[in-house]
Amino acid sequence: MTTPATEVARPKVGTMAFEGRPVDDELPMVQQPGVPFIEIEALRAKEFIPAAKEALTSLIAEQGQAKLIRPVFNWAGRNSLFPLHWGLACCAIEFAAAFGARWDAERFGVVPRSSPRQCDVMIVNGTVTWKVAHKLITLYEQMPEPKWVVAMGNCATGGGPFRTAYSVVPGVDKLVPVDIYIAGCPPRPEAFLDGILRLEQLIRERKE
Amino acid sequence: MSEMWINMGPQHPMTHGLWNLRVRIDGEVILDVDPEMGYLHRGIEKISEDRHYNEVITLMDRCCYVAGLCWEHLYIIASEQALHLEPPERAQYLRVMCDEFQRIASHLMWYAAFVQDIGLMSPFLYSMRDRDLVLDLFQSYTGARMTYEYMRVGGVRNDLPPGFTDQARKVLDWLIPRFHEYDQLCLGSSIFHKRCDNLGILKAADCVAHGVTGPMIRSAGVKRDLRKDRPYASYRQLDFDVAVADGADVTGRYLVRMEEMRQSVRILRQVLDWLDRHPGPVMAEQLPRWLGAPYAPVGREGYLLKRNYPKGVGFSAVEEPHGEAQAYIVNEGGEHPYRVKFRSPVFGNISAARQYLVGYRVADIPPIMGSVDVCVGEVDR
Amino acid sequence: MNGRRPGPDPRRNATQPDELKTALGSKFGDRILSVEPFPGMAGRVRFERKAAVEVLQSARDDLGFSHLSMVGGIDWVDHREVFYVLWSDAIRQYVLFSTDLPADDPRVESVSGVWPSANWHEREAWELVGINFDHHPDLRHLLTPDGYVFHPLLRSFKLHEPEELEVKSRHV
Repeated sequence: MTTPATEVARPKVGTMAFEGRPVDDELPMVQQPGVPFIEIEALRAKEFIPAAKEALTSLIAEQGQAKLIRPVFNWAGRNSLFPLHWGLACCAIEFAAAFGARWDAERFGVVPRSSPRQCDVMIVNGTVTWKVAHKLITLYEQMPEPKWVVAMGNCATGGGPFRTAYSVVPGVDKLVPVDIYIAGCPPRPEAFLDGILRLEQLIRERKE
Repeated sequence: MSEMWINMGPQHPMTHGLWNLRVRIDGEVILDVDPEMGYLHRGIEKISEDRHYNEVITLMDRCCYVAGLCWEHLYIIASEQALHLEPPERAQYLRVMCDEFQRIASHLMWYAAFVQDIGLMSPFLYSMRDRDLVLDLFQSYTGARMTYEYMRVGGVRNDLPPGFTDQARKVLDWLIPRFHEYDQLCLGSSIFHKRCDNLGILKAADCVAHGVTGPMIRSAGVKRDLRKDRPYASYRQLDFDVAVADGADVTGRYLVRMEEMRQSVRILRQVLDWLDRHPGPVMAEQLPRWLGAPYAPVGREGYLLKRNYPKGVGFSAVEEPHGEAQAYIVNEGGEHPYRVKFRSPVFGNISAARQYLVGYRVADIPPIMGSVDVCVGEVDR
Repeated sequence: MNGRRPGPDPRRNATQPDELKTALGSKFGDRILSVEPFPGMAGRVRFERKAAVEVLQSARDDLGFSHLSMVGGIDWVDHREVFYVLWSDAIRQYVLFSTDLPADDPRVESVSGVWPSANWHEREAWELVGINFDHHPDLRHLLTPDGYVFHPLLRSFKLHEPEELEVKSRHV
């Protein structure tokens, strides 16, 4: 003998139903600093599936996005950073040395790709001139989201030793948004790898 | 009807530097070539007019970044002529040692990039490993791997650390069998020969007319090397041969550069022996007070005094790993040079691109441009 | 190598400035303004700008300076100067040819017909120092962007101080 449902059975997400305590569907999700749980009251089969679907959707929407999906995306993104195969100036030689046998950058999953369509990160390694600025912005816009920019070296950070020159952009952050600045002229391969690891930390903390 | 201009660059895995090689092609065949430079033009000559003589050294390292010490040497010889100074002999030998180690490092970097263009992947790792050994030596006495700022007007900044020459000899002993290994990897490969033989031919007369110098003209059979023809620093006292090949093609340039590395090892052994036997000062004693910069034996109070300094001009020519580089410095009195003009060897080598690229195929461009050994920092300055 | 004598200086029988003066002066007369000694070179020849191509062609054909190494410009504020550095394989020496150009009309004939290597050097001298080369096959920008109107290496072109460089950031 089943109890006729007098109201649509809806799971209570994040609330603990005590006796005598008002249970309200509009209560905010995190009401107590405890672990939220789904309270599924007696439901019939044909009401169970949509209710469960809604419960899981709201669970994923509220928490899974933050706790399940975003972390997996971040883990995949930071462990397979594909920089653009691009060298501007002296820092590019240290960039290349970082891919040699002594400071193997590929063990971090960093593999340079020739086409910007396949890249996550653009490492600006060298002096940016006004002549190349347009091409740099084009390459940046050709990269698909999510994308990051690492300004490697003093020239990309703020113009470097050539800041006063007539043809030099004083820092690549005047053209594209920069996530990581690596100082040095040129930064050693260890500094470059440290910058890559900081970028990975940045990606780890990515929320959206 | 299928002719078109395509852009190889400025972002291209082949170009090794920031320049644009525009080629007009008909299918696969190259009809015309128009290299487009200037993407790395940093105005070094203009900035130098605002810098003290010793401060321009920092720009010289970055001018050609794979051969920084050779460009420092070039500028230093010219500025010492312009300032009427003479470095001591030990400094001259130290500069030769810097030059020759830099030649080995530059050619190893060239080799790493060149074999990647051919399609071989592992020699890149081997030569970067060996180049790191040479850069370790640089780090032990200059303090840096790539941008050294080691030479000063009047000498060099500091002497060698103790035990350096033994360490250097160990590196040289390690390198000689490695060169043989590189030859086996490349010349022993029939794919290398199919890709590189009789490719990118530039005969001697064309080289001279187009201002092509260095390994490119030596691969055409012309025995021309500034270290022998117009010796500077201590090269007159040293015993070595000039590497020459016959074919004027990509394989010839490869052979010339490998042989140059072996000759550099030969020069270095002589230089290291001399340095062990002749201690001495590394900086000139009579530096004018106004040239006093942190590493000169005069105080900084002489740094900014304005007086009537003697005028002068200086001209230097150095056999750089890419070819012949020249510097012309005009000193009108004053702490800053009035005009600094450099001639880059790669400037001439790329300007002749029409001669050695037209008629070949697009797939031939990476080996040919790899054999030209492009370093864009010195072309654009 | 201990105890080794230095080899013979290949420039011992070098060309001296007065030899250059006799060789060139006989052909060109007073279009050669002066021949001076220059450190490290055979000499420095100043000539009139109208005779540029003839003098340099004669240097190549008669004197054997077969290689043009560089062409550059200098801005002395009241006049400009263009200089040519030539190299001879036979005597293994450099020589410097230079001519003065008036500041209001800095034009000289192009020597890219004599040496194709002058092509790029003259393009650079034009765009940086503002020297016009007549009958140059391809006078356009080489190092500076297309459409750049300034000649940066003129003394009147001043650079900024680093603190003055506040360029508005694109993404601030």
